[in-house]
Amino acid sequence: MTGTQITPNLPLTPRTGVPVDPVFRQIRDLVYKVCGIFQLEEKLYLMAGACERRMKILSIRTSRDYWNLLTANPGRDTELRNLLNEVTIGETCLFRSPPQLDALRKVILPELLQDKSKQAIKTLRIWSAGCSTGEEPYTLAMNMLEESENLLKGWKVEIIATDLNDRSIETAKAGVYGDYALRSTPELFKRKYFSAVDAKKLQVLPDVKKLITFSRLNLQDDSKMLFMKGMDLIFCCNVLIYFDGPSKSKVINHFYSNLTFGGYLFLGTSESLLNLNDRFRLIHFPGTMAYWKPSLKSGKL
Amino acid sequence: MSASMTLNMRERVKDMETMPSIPAILLPLLELLNLPPEHVKLDEVVRLVSCDNAIAAQCLRVASSPLFGLAESPKTVKAAVISLGLRRVQTILLTCCLGDAFPTHNWPLDPAVLWKHSLGCAMVCRKFSEKLATGDGERAYLAGLLHDIGLMVNCIAFPKEFAAAVAHASQEQIPLDVAELDTMGFTHSDSGRALAEKWHLADDLIQVIAHHHSPNEAEAHQPLTALVHLSDLLCRMRGMGYGYYEQQKVDLISDPAWEILLQEHRELAQVDLALFSFELDEAVGEVCELVSAIFGGAKASTK
Repeated sequence: MTGTQITPNLPLTPRTGVPVDPVFRQIRDLVYKVCGIFQLEEKLYLMAGACERRMKILSIRTSRDYWNLLTANPGRDTELRNLLNEVTIGETCLFRSPPQLDALRKVILPELLQDKSKQAIKTLRIWSAGCSTGEEPYTLAMNMLEESENLLKGWKVEIIATDLNDRSIETAKAGVYGDYALRSTPELFKRKYFSAVDAKKLQVLPDVKKLITFSRLNLQDDSKMLFMKGMDLIFCCNVLIYFDGPSKSKVINHFYSNLTFGGYLFLGTSESLLNLNDRFRLIHFPGTMAYWKPSLKSGKL
Repeated sequence: MSASMTLNMRERVKDMETMPSIPAILLPLLELLNLPPEHVKLDEVVRLVSCDNAIAAQCLRVASSPLFGLAESPKTVKAAVISLGLRRVQTILLTCCLGDAFPTHNWPLDPAVLWKHSLGCAMVCRKFSEKLATGDGERAYLAGLLHDIGLMVNCIAFPKEFAAAVAHASQEQIPLDVAELDTMGFTHSDSGRALAEKWHLADDLIQVIAHHHSPNEAEAHQPLTALVHLSDLLCRMRGMGYGYYEQQKVDLISDPAWEILLQEHRELAQVDLALFSFELDEAVGEVCELVSAIFGGAKASTK
């Protein structure tokens, strides 16, 4: 057929209805290539908004000049990181990715537990690497508690939550959250696993906290990374995006060693490993993906 | 499937009075699709579209939908064809033809969900094929669009048995073909093949329809069948499945279909599968809009 196909229109900015500047699409592609985080076309206006906020701070007038700063300027890495901070800001909340939780409870846990059932020690180890203010490890802990009378009956669950930032760790330990962080938390979980602090805030119950050990860890600290052994699951969402190529590759290799055979690494919902480690296998679950360290019996390592 | 079962199913497909006959404009349309681009005449397409009032009306309706962002709704079929572009017209025509062939009364599966899966798979097949140096995107699109016609056959020819299979699949959260085999003894690949042969579809399409769940069993055209198999899985994992949660772990690279495709297209090894999956998510919205534009009232479920 002839090439009369309509080129896809640029998405419109909600409210104003103005088409998004095509330079922002180029920036979107650059962000994926360098950091492995993908912004959907329909969310391009968010990327545009983040760029515009950075441009204002830097007193840059045109999107083209900003593109030049991100590609040609020697300080481009720093600026890319600043931009990513703008893009991922406010993303953290409890129950951020229901498809990840579904995959975990419906597909991965039954498989993992069966694999491990022959072992003497019935412990499941989960690492939240870059746990920020605790939303992720608490979400995991509550979901594991939901399975405690079912899949996980007779199993011990250990959740190790680490972050580089001391202040984040302190906030995480307190486990107090407001409406915004709890916006995706199902009512059932709010009633079952939280107590009210005041009219606006809820605190995670001690039974949930009991499952988690919080500590400070720098993912670039090789000697400490070697100690993080025997993990069945690693969650590292929107953390690797801040690392440059070689450091990212190093962290991923550590994660590979830290995992048990048959274990999984989860990244953020729109994040990819950029094929930086070919021993991990990309696995699809409904609505989400994870990286798998093939089990010994699967042959193809 | 046992030989007697095959015979029984085939007899039922052949004898069903309600069995869809091939829509009049489908065959000339398929021929047109096989022509090299420079030989396709706009007027010929307009003529095909115009010869069926219902389809012409659907084309006009789709062309007027906000999806295409046209400043003014086209008034004539020709204007609609020009503003939509030939490629989109093909899609719409094929979809409308098939939609007309299969009256959707009391289907055990939501027709909008099924169309979303078929159109979604067609789109994924085309995009997948475009990642490969020697892929034929349009052929792949057609193969993707038609791969599940057996489900429509099942909806019409075996409504009771198929309803039980759908219920079993969604309750157990298992793949539909597995549930069909459990409850009916044959799958939509078998009934689809019976219809494809009745319609005298090209051999590559017959192979895809018959073997998209086990491409290594295809007697010919294994690479195309493998491509549709992988695209089908990807669709079901990226929100364009059959409307229920499939408790499934999909490892595309260790799937035998991957190896088949890799033998034919070495460049497959370079495809960034994660990025490809993200790109597909972008197209889901468009597929939903297309489904609701073509089928008007039928709302496209987001599942």
